[in-house]
Amino acid sequence: MTYLAADLNELALSIFGVVVAITLLVTYWASKRVSTTTDFWAAGRGVTGAQNGFAIAGDYMSAASFLGIAGLIFLFGFDGFLYSVGFLVAFLTVLFLLAERMRNSGKFTIADVLSFRMNQRPARAAAALGTLSVVAFYLIAQMVGAGVLIEALVGISFELSVILTGTFMLIYVVAGGMLATTWVQIIKAVMLMTATTALTIMVLAKTGWNPIDLFRDARAEHPEGQAYLEPGLFLSSPIDTVSLGLALVLGTAGLPHILMRFFTVPDAKAARSSVMWAVGLIGAFYLMTTALGFGARAILGTGAEEAVGKGGNLAAPLLAEELGGGAGTLGGDLFLAIIAAVAFATILAVVAGLVISASGAVAHDVWSNIVRHDRESEHEEIWVARIAAIGVGALAIGIAMIGGAGLNVSFMVGLAFAVAASANFPALLLALTWRRFNTAGAITGVLFGVISSVALVIISPTVWAGPDSQGGALDWYDLANPGIISIPLGFFGCWLGTMLSREERSERMFDELFVRSETGLGAEAGTGVTLTGRTNGARRATSGARAATNGARAEDEAPATREPSLR
Amino acid sequence: MSDSTVTRDPTPAPRTNGDGRSPQTSTIDWTAAARTPEFRELVRRRRRFVVPATIFFLAWFIGFIVLAGYAPDFMGEEFLTDGLTVGYVLALSQFLMTWGLAWLYLRKADSEFDPLAQRAAREALRAGQAHAIDGYAPRNGGKVMSR
Repeated sequence: MTYLAADLNELALSIFGVVVAITLLVTYWASKRVSTTTDFWAAGRGVTGAQNGFAIAGDYMSAASFLGIAGLIFLFGFDGFLYSVGFLVAFLTVLFLLAERMRNSGKFTIADVLSFRMNQRPARAAAALGTLSVVAFYLIAQMVGAGVLIEALVGISFELSVILTGTFMLIYVVAGGMLATTWVQIIKAVMLMTATTALTIMVLAKTGWNPIDLFRDARAEHPEGQAYLEPGLFLSSPIDTVSLGLALVLGTAGLPHILMRFFTVPDAKAARSSVMWAVGLIGAFYLMTTALGFGARAILGTGAEEAVGKGGNLAAPLLAEELGGGAGTLGGDLFLAIIAAVAFATILAVVAGLVISASGAVAHDVWSNIVRHDRESEHEEIWVARIAAIGVGALAIGIAMIGGAGLNVSFMVGLAFAVAASANFPALLLALTWRRFNTAGAITGVLFGVISSVALVIISPTVWAGPDSQGGALDWYDLANPGIISIPLGFFGCWLGTMLSREERSERMFDELFVRSETGLGAEAGTGVTLTGRTNGARRATSGARAATNGARAEDEAPATREPSLR
Repeated sequence: MSDSTVTRDPTPAPRTNGDGRSPQTSTIDWTAAARTPEFRELVRRRRRFVVPATIFFLAWFIGFIVLAGYAPDFMGEEFLTDGLTVGYVLALSQFLMTWGLAWLYLRKADSEFDPLAQRAAREALRAGQAHAIDGYAPRNGGKVMSR
């Protein structure tokens, strides 16, 4: 098998090399600062609000956002932009309902919050199921996407691309934990924002600095004319559009790798300000997808429809090439190579975030709290986390390679959002707000959410008869996005299980979770200040002080969110 | 609270594990803490912002996607000038709404919710710690610092 295609892009490859070298240096630095589970999963809780905002943006804006949305807008106009809107508005759900409460009452994983007042083993198992389902769908989609894109952009084969992506992802996570992952995400966010801003400015310069002209030029280049600026070219079924919108706006608040980021900051105030930073960055980015998508249409024209590929993923790289001077010119090659490197960094940051959240679910939830039932040592938990990360990563690499470039992953990101919105979000929200909610409710809610999302996608036209076909498995069911059914089912499952059982302890402990989540009383601190009684309190305190360069600042910021030592 | 055994557990479980809470937190009477006027005020104030704001942004967003789904012609209508559609302007309004509401929440949280949360936390500690105060030495001399 030949791994190198004929049209190897050496320029892109060398820029890749630089990006990888920088991230590996950061990982080496971070690896010396990982000695406790708090270091490994929460970067010692020493990440500042601004840093975490960049990292959230880096964790969230996948290649599907960067290349996929630009491509969708290039091909279908307005409908592509609907995704941009949904992805951004979703952060209000996170900010208003979950961000600070997660930080105040959790430790490493969403299961910490979900199972707080419940029967530990079953509640954690349910939460781990929700986390791992989301990660599985999202990770496989990203890995296959990585293979396809890197093959097209750099000229190395699909298999080698997947293996390289997976290997770097595992090095970051296994050696450097959350600290390295955070920095990879920050570097990626800076690269992505810089590249997108540069492209936007160049597109606007070409259209006389008038965005309205951009729409007019784009419309003139699209066979559908005015319809290109209207909804309906891509999402032709109205109910499907609404269903997709619901999954986007509620799903983000159930994405384990995003929620996990809130455990890396010192307190609720920093969690809140990190959402503000993220909203600013992500909003600016999605706003600029207008310039990328409509700009690609206006500048590349109808003739490029073949070249951008099936999903339009190559619209943004081709636009960069054209803006740099066109194919074959030095400027064009350089721009293409830079965008390729940005796409590569984008994928790495997202998959690393996904793998570390999966390692949390496996090692912290399943292994330590279910299998060993809290009798493990902290040292053991970190090693189990590393082994879990390698296992999850290897599995994703394997599935991506067996499935191959032809594996239809277009539905998988949508499915990940649907599961997050239908299983994780309802259970988390109700655990924090509904006194009567209990273990049985959490289990039935997560099961209803996961099973209904997956089942509805399996019988949907997307999977059943190939992406181009109209019919699904059943004549009367043709929804491609299950959200509008599965989200209410998730909530219904939570209600049903709760009503069928009575759990006095869960109701009694609601006050504790309520007070903790609202005030931050007893919240896990991470800056070396005394924590509540953990066997490793002293050890963690030293590591926290070392890992958190900004510890001093955090201390000034948040006196009351930390529980004073009572020892 | 009645968890008298946990203080003698030689290897206390992580605090978030409800089966074995740590000595410190088990001394707080959470039910009493939840009933202090400070805490109720905090919850009331936060709800007064978050509930209407959540209803508003969900309605605005769902209204937008319903229009996109069911009224594509309306969304495609010209807004002020040729090339700019009603749909795109409404999409832009979602961006402004997100930034605006996030900023508003941040401002209210800094100026209003945080001081209340600090007071509520202090009250909760005071209310429930009578028998566990030994060795308690607040880092900041017991004062609640303002941010």
